[in-house]
Amino acid sequence: MTAMKRRTIRLVRDEDEREYQVAVVEERGQLHATVDGRTFQVIRDGDGRVRVASDRTVTAWTVATGNQRWVFVDGDVFLLSEARPEERTRSRGHHGSLAAPMPATVRRVLVKPEDTVHPGDPLIILEAMKMELPIRATADGVVRAVNCREGELVQPGVTLVDIVENGSNQQ
Amino acid sequence: MKRILIANRGEIAVRIARACREAGLESVAVYSDADVHAVHVRVADRAVRIGPAPAAESYLSPSALIAAAKATGADAIHPGYGFLSERPELPRACESAGIVFVGPPADVMERMGSKIGARALMQSAGVPIVPGEVPRDQSDQGVLTAARALGYPVLVKASAGGGGKGMRTVASEAEASEAIAAARREATAAFGDGTLYVERLIARPRHVEIQVFADTQGNVVHLFDRECSVQRRHQKVIEESPSPAVSATLRRHMGEAAVAAARAAGYRNAGTIEFLVEGQGDAASFYFLEMNTRLQVEHPVTEEVTGIDLVRAQLSVAAGEPLPWSQEVLSQRGHAIECRIYAEDPTHGFLPQAGPILLYREPSGPGVRVDSGVAEGDEIGVNYDPLLAKLISSGETREAARARAVGALRSYPILGIRTNVSFLIRLLELPAFRDGHLHTGLIDEHWPALSRDAADPDVPAEAVVAAASAVNAGAGRDHSSRSSTAEADPWSTLGRWGR
Repeated sequence: MTAMKRRTIRLVRDEDEREYQVAVVEERGQLHATVDGRTFQVIRDGDGRVRVASDRTVTAWTVATGNQRWVFVDGDVFLLSEARPEERTRSRGHHGSLAAPMPATVRRVLVKPEDTVHPGDPLIILEAMKMELPIRATADGVVRAVNCREGELVQPGVTLVDIVENGSNQQ
Repeated sequence: MKRILIANRGEIAVRIARACREAGLESVAVYSDADVHAVHVRVADRAVRIGPAPAAESYLSPSALIAAAKATGADAIHPGYGFLSERPELPRACESAGIVFVGPPADVMERMGSKIGARALMQSAGVPIVPGEVPRDQSDQGVLTAARALGYPVLVKASAGGGGKGMRTVASEAEASEAIAAARREATAAFGDGTLYVERLIARPRHVEIQVFADTQGNVVHLFDRECSVQRRHQKVIEESPSPAVSATLRRHMGEAAVAAARAAGYRNAGTIEFLVEGQGDAASFYFLEMNTRLQVEHPVTEEVTGIDLVRAQLSVAAGEPLPWSQEVLSQRGHAIECRIYAEDPTHGFLPQAGPILLYREPSGPGVRVDSGVAEGDEIGVNYDPLLAKLISSGETREAARARAVGALRSYPILGIRTNVSFLIRLLELPAFRDGHLHTGLIDEHWPALSRDAADPDVPAEAVVAAASAVNAGAGRDHSSRSSTAEADPWSTLGRWGR
């Protein structure tokens, strides 16, 4: 005989960065999830397939990896992260777009320190999967440093060019 | 011919291995270090390592492929599409090694592979061509002068190109220099040849191609049209047969022109003549665009409406047999639509995605075919094209095939990596697509509708969150390693191929 299990998790939906409070109650194999006050019966079919029932039943496919959960429903894919209490939602600095989106080779470096750039100016041409991917300036500013060389393999998330935006107080 | 080496990877290598098995031929897969665990390696009768992950040192190396063929006693090589499929070095190397090449002779490939040479040949054979300039001065300045002389907008293309690489649309003089330089770099990187040419940009064109087939006895037939207008940055996204925009008369004229083109080229085996179509109905004009001297990615839609296995036909023609069909017995029946499933993120500029496939379930049912090269547990890398699979739906009518494609995509979960599945559904549901009003600018024109957050409004966000709460690291299975190989077994995911 299984005792009643209760746990509370917080999930952040990647698409809109909205945070949801979920209370899950598991009793005799029955799973109920209450999300922002709405309660659903959740039936695990196994093999990643779950059915979520309230007034109508939705079939979803889910998989967890680390603190992330992927959900597929009717052709749409959602990525949710389990938020830790001390953690704020993922921050998106203004340098974010000046990084490689994926492992790539630096094909050309088009700017050097002290260059003035404007939004849309190509700064770096990356190549990945045989396609050229330009990294473009997102604001008016001056190049402070170029952090990569032509021919170098760069990893995602690493800022390739530092730009001091006009009007910013950065020195 | 007893043993075929498949000089490719991914879904097309799997597709060719299946045709080999059905034809009673042994298949030999080749793989780079990045593909040791790939599906195409697992479904072939034998497999040979041909080099490290970079394509230039593996799938693009004729010497590595010939060595693999010799080591395994293969007597023929099927190149698939992409990689070396349109490079004369491969058939030439095959010839000197005494290996049959499943495709046209090297000199025909060379002639049709040069866009400049092909245009001239088609013009002399009476096949209509797009007005264009072939700059004799191949400097950036020379190409710029040619573009200016033709009048903007123009298209700058790699002479040796294909698949949109080394191609740029130039709307005005202001964009010309950057576009020419980029086209040149891409052309040089992708094809080792930076020669460019410039042609008039046809407004709202449709892209319709004709499948041709020629044997060594001099028989040439066509297997009708494929509509390939739905493209993004010159990469096809959805293809279908027949084209909803081609009238019976136009189809006949295009078929005849394609056969004339194949004859003029001295063509052999399966090939495709691509045309641009401008205007409507019987009065529409068509222009020769290029010839693809290989099997096309979108060949399945032709297979579905003609009932012919093009890859098996390629193998028998390569073995010297005459075409098994005459033009008179060929016909199109019903309608077929192919959707290309890419590992890319439509919400972030369609960036190719790399990562693990944590969950993967293919749809099935009447009129649903999936040609795929991946399985659950695979790691998608950055070395190769991000095409994962092709979903081909067929039905009695275009609407039946379209509705089937939507239904199948809604039951095609791929998790762990972003794909274009939801984008494809929105594209298929566009009124303009439904009505068959296709042109190559369709995606750009309808971008606002295609890019909106189109999650099914009938599925509340809370239900999605509830589903996610049912799995957690404690209760769910951990998919982060290759430990899920039991589910990734190719004989269960590719059940219909079981031996």
